[in-house]
Amino acid sequence: MVLPQDIKQYIEAGLPCERVEVSGDGHHFEAIIVSHLFAGKSRVAQHQLVYQALGDRMRQEIHALSMRTLTPEQWAALGGH
Amino acid sequence: MSVHDIIDQQVKSHPVVLYMKGSPDFPQCGFSANAVKILKACGVDAPFTVDVLQNPDIRQGIKEYANWPTIPQLYIKGEFVGGSDIMTELYQSGELKQLLAA
Repeated sequence: MVLPQDIKQYIEAGLPCERVEVSGDGHHFEAIIVSHLFAGKSRVAQHQLVYQALGDRMRQEIHALSMRTLTPEQWAALGGH
Repeated sequence: MSVHDIIDQQVKSHPVVLYMKGSPDFPQCGFSANAVKILKACGVDAPFTVDVLQNPDIRQGIKEYANWPTIPQLYIKGEFVGGSDIMTELYQSGELKQLLAA
């Protein structure tokens, strides 16, 4: 079974990012990803970067992943929560 | 006609197209149900929907078409808008209603 920390590791290994938080029950996961690479990109392009980092795992191991992508500035504006 | 061409024709011949699991009345996945609900809340009661569970070729092809590995997928006027998460964000910010009205 895939654990939230596995997904966190997969994302961190494939995408330079400032922060990754993943929670979930092994079937459905929720992730918050903060990366400077998201700056100036559309939401679609931001999510594509994360999917790219997950690669084939997205097709095989991970059934459902809900995500929110933020730039460091957006994350700071939210008070870091 | 290739799967790519079929999808291309579908998204370009209808203003709003939702690729989903199940039908609007009987969605087979929570994310697809959420997408239908959001469109309804924006006044789109009858989007053109494609049930990927009924069509394995489209199910695979649509992931390649938009370089997007998950279902649902929303297209407005031929443009890929996003999946369930992005739809939720765009709905909450009011942008989705603008996109649909444009």
